[in-house]
Amino acid sequence: MTTKTKAEPKSSGVTNGGARIVVDGDDEVLSPTDLSEMLAEGTKDSHDKAENCQFVKDFLRGRIKRELFKRGTAALYFVYAAMEEEIEKNEDHPHIAPIYFPAELHRREALARDLEYFYGEDWESQISLSAGTKPYVDRIHEVGQRDPVLLVAHSYTRYMGDLSGGQILKKVAQRALKLPSTGEGLNFYQFEGIHSQKGFKQLYRSRMNELELDAETKERIVGESNRAFSFNMMVFTELEEIGKTIKEEVQDAGLGHSHAEIMEGMDGGDINKCPYYAAKMVASGNPTYACQLAMTLLRHPPCQWALAAWVALLAGFTAWYLL
Amino acid sequence: MADMDADTAAHTEPSVEEEEPFFSNLDLLLFSLIVGIVVYWYMSRKKPEPIPEFKKLDTPAPAARETSFIEKMKKTGKNIIVFYGSQTGTGEEFANRLSKDAQRYGMKGMAADPEEYEMAELARLSQIENSLAIFCMATYGEGDPTDNAQDFYDWLQEIDDEDLSGLNYTVFALGNKTYEHYNAMGKYVDKRLEELGAKRIFDLGLGDDDGNLEEDFVSWREQFWPSVCEHFGVEASGDDSSIRQYELKEHTDLNMNKVYSGEMGRLKSFEVQKPPYDSKNPFLAPVTVNRKLNKAGDRHLMHVELDITGSKIRYDSGDHVAVFPTNDSAMVNKLGQILGVDLDVVISLNNLDEESNKKHPFPCPTSYRTALTHYLDISQPPRTNVLYELAQYASDPKDQENMRRMSSSSPEGKALYHSWVQGACRNILAILEDMPSLRPPVDHLCELLPRLQARYYSIASSSKVHPDRISICAVVVEYETPTGRTNKGVATNWLKNKLVTDNGHKSTVPMFIRKSQFRLPFKATNPVIMIGPGTGIAPFMGFIQERGWLKEQGKEVGETVLYFGCRYKNEDYIYQEELEEAEKKGVLTQLNVAFSRDEEKKVYVQHLLKNSKEHLWKLIHSDNAHIYVCGDAKNMAKDVQTALQDIAEELGGMTRTQATDYVKKLMTKGRYSQDVWT
Repeated sequence: MTTKTKAEPKSSGVTNGGARIVVDGDDEVLSPTDLSEMLAEGTKDSHDKAENCQFVKDFLRGRIKRELFKRGTAALYFVYAAMEEEIEKNEDHPHIAPIYFPAELHRREALARDLEYFYGEDWESQISLSAGTKPYVDRIHEVGQRDPVLLVAHSYTRYMGDLSGGQILKKVAQRALKLPSTGEGLNFYQFEGIHSQKGFKQLYRSRMNELELDAETKERIVGESNRAFSFNMMVFTELEEIGKTIKEEVQDAGLGHSHAEIMEGMDGGDINKCPYYAAKMVASGNPTYACQLAMTLLRHPPCQWALAAWVALLAGFTAWYLL
Repeated sequence: MADMDADTAAHTEPSVEEEEPFFSNLDLLLFSLIVGIVVYWYMSRKKPEPIPEFKKLDTPAPAARETSFIEKMKKTGKNIIVFYGSQTGTGEEFANRLSKDAQRYGMKGMAADPEEYEMAELARLSQIENSLAIFCMATYGEGDPTDNAQDFYDWLQEIDDEDLSGLNYTVFALGNKTYEHYNAMGKYVDKRLEELGAKRIFDLGLGDDDGNLEEDFVSWREQFWPSVCEHFGVEASGDDSSIRQYELKEHTDLNMNKVYSGEMGRLKSFEVQKPPYDSKNPFLAPVTVNRKLNKAGDRHLMHVELDITGSKIRYDSGDHVAVFPTNDSAMVNKLGQILGVDLDVVISLNNLDEESNKKHPFPCPTSYRTALTHYLDISQPPRTNVLYELAQYASDPKDQENMRRMSSSSPEGKALYHSWVQGACRNILAILEDMPSLRPPVDHLCELLPRLQARYYSIASSSKVHPDRISICAVVVEYETPTGRTNKGVATNWLKNKLVTDNGHKSTVPMFIRKSQFRLPFKATNPVIMIGPGTGIAPFMGFIQERGWLKEQGKEVGETVLYFGCRYKNEDYIYQEELEEAEKKGVLTQLNVAFSRDEEKKVYVQHLLKNSKEHLWKLIHSDNAHIYVCGDAKNMAKDVQTALQDIAEELGGMTRTQATDYVKKLMTKGRYSQDVWT
């Protein structure tokens, strides 16, 4: 049974679903068909894009508006609530059980505490699922119900990223937003159940590699992971857009971070495996996302309202100016 | 990516809304019109005012910014400037702490961003008397300077004929050892300033974020200040109240219910126990078994079982149990005697810096006895900063001088500290005994001693078999010091004395669980290779129990191979019965034991690995085996890793580099896990 994965044809330099699977000579020796390696390699492009998007750059430089950070936290809440709901529903599924680490990983409670800190006790009534986040949440529910093995991709994309850059992002946010050093508002970044993030990531990789999957399924997981990246990009593109409309003092512009430092803060040897780090969201680079976003926004009732309101305001101002 | 994205949001999303738009176009138009009119009406009534929010965007005009740090230092009477190359803020934080420190030593410091000042002025710093420039320099990426230090770095590279001979400096570098260019920036600044003629007054400090950056910084700082004082001939003692960080308050009529008696967090948390249990709220677990494991020999290897029934504590095989030990009461009493104090006085030590988050050095109010028993480490040889601070209380000038010397950075001072304190294993009690003139006030001593830490042990049981019990396997530490004293390991001796019933009372141990990543494979069919000599066998006792349990459940269980090692077969072959029983039942498919002292030639686990290399290689390379190593990090774990690399090289037909990478990759992928200690 354990030799099953060995029998798979080795994919060499194959392009599949955007995942470039490069197998060089050295890798041949150590099962290049291991899912952890296929994912690291196959999401490299998505990760690279994440490094260079404006939102991430701004975040790392400490240019974060409090309002955006709050909205970002709310978006994450909806994503994690969906993901953890589906993971829990499938906890006994043979492809989910090995990577089921609720005590160590699950973020829903931590995010709820953060939201309570930012919005107060009635936080639940104050937040709503944004248009840019909805497709992500819908997709998670869809795979959870129809194709649970793809939850592996969603779980990998988020948690492994959170474990890679979380501490540094926490520091940036803490300084930029002047949040208390005791961690209020930043519970999301604090994995209380994990003593060594490096060690845990290794355990998680070993569990992913233990999943009994055929080559085709592994490639579908890589594809879904890239898709999860795109969904995150949509969330943050939306935030970036909203950010342009918010007038708020950008605090602490001078003390920032570069991606390189994030990398240094991470444990060594994992640099290429960091699927993308917490801010990780991305925008630039792909015009289709922008179009998709625009279309989605237009079809969303609250956005229609917003659009109408803007048109109205504009009309009003124009009238006032001209008359 | 194209084929995937095509069916994502773009196609699946819209269908819901399209059928019946919530708003018709007419609605939208009307709505816009109405709002537009309202806005017009409103705006035309009110005089437009500048929108206040925009103001905030304007930063205060930096027109008259002071770029001369020398002028600023002169104006404010500073003699120490701490430059920071910082990206995450840690470097800056260290710089701030150092500049604050200066005050405590009768000097005045300021932290400064090199980007904001004219760094060429460094050549003129000697205009200020007793001046010193400290550099806290972080490195990132491929050995690059931080953004704010880039100009400074460029300047250093360009200037070749600059003469910095009047400049006193020292560098603390911040970096991460897992990177190839470890601390490149700090090292460069340190070296370059010397090349330019500046005077290094204290050795470069290297902070490793992969290890413990804070600790590296603190220990560097401890050595650094005494030597600065020495360099400038500053008497750091002088007014001793100025050095104290905490203020003593004695309580005379305090209700004993408000006094800490060893709790880590909540008062009375030991009397009224409430889950969840963690480091701030440990569970008091009764000891149900405490037996000696070895049959002979002068060591004491012990097996202790803790009962966690009703605690709701859950654990997995491979997790760690943390226990909070207490110091030997005889030692505490001796400290009280030698200092001539009543240990039962109830006190608080309150931080003089009211802004600090840390109000007390340990839970207060409490008695000196509780502090010295539960909260403070009195067994370790004190660090140099403790000696430095205590020196003022030595009435014999010679003792005082020796203590100052030991905490200085001079080679003789370091040598003296290494031999007289570390080499001789002198703890604070031994120092007080051997320096009769040194009698510090007990409250200052309590302020200076480090906190007594929780001790971690790999759990030697499986929760599948023993959900309500946690086993510990440990060796009692006890040795004779060069001064003829007997030093005892705090936690292991305390555990050894935790008898199952102590005068009719159940002994308890304050404990909590720390999760680890040292876990069995999810699939029972995957083979496991366990390497753990001595007490390194602890987690494997749990693993073996769990594999046995899986087998009893009718599961197909893969090969389970153990490499154990001890000194003599007849003395310290611990758990021999259990292991042989497991082998007989087929739970352990291979039991390899190395006896290092039974034969003339020492045999260790790594030798046994080589003996069965063909089989091992097959398990690792073809059968996806997981390798686990537990025990001594310094020698054993390294030798085992080398042995496995040798095997990969030989049987995998790899070059040395390939074999090294192969093993590293096994680690990255979680198939080679280590639980090791020094």
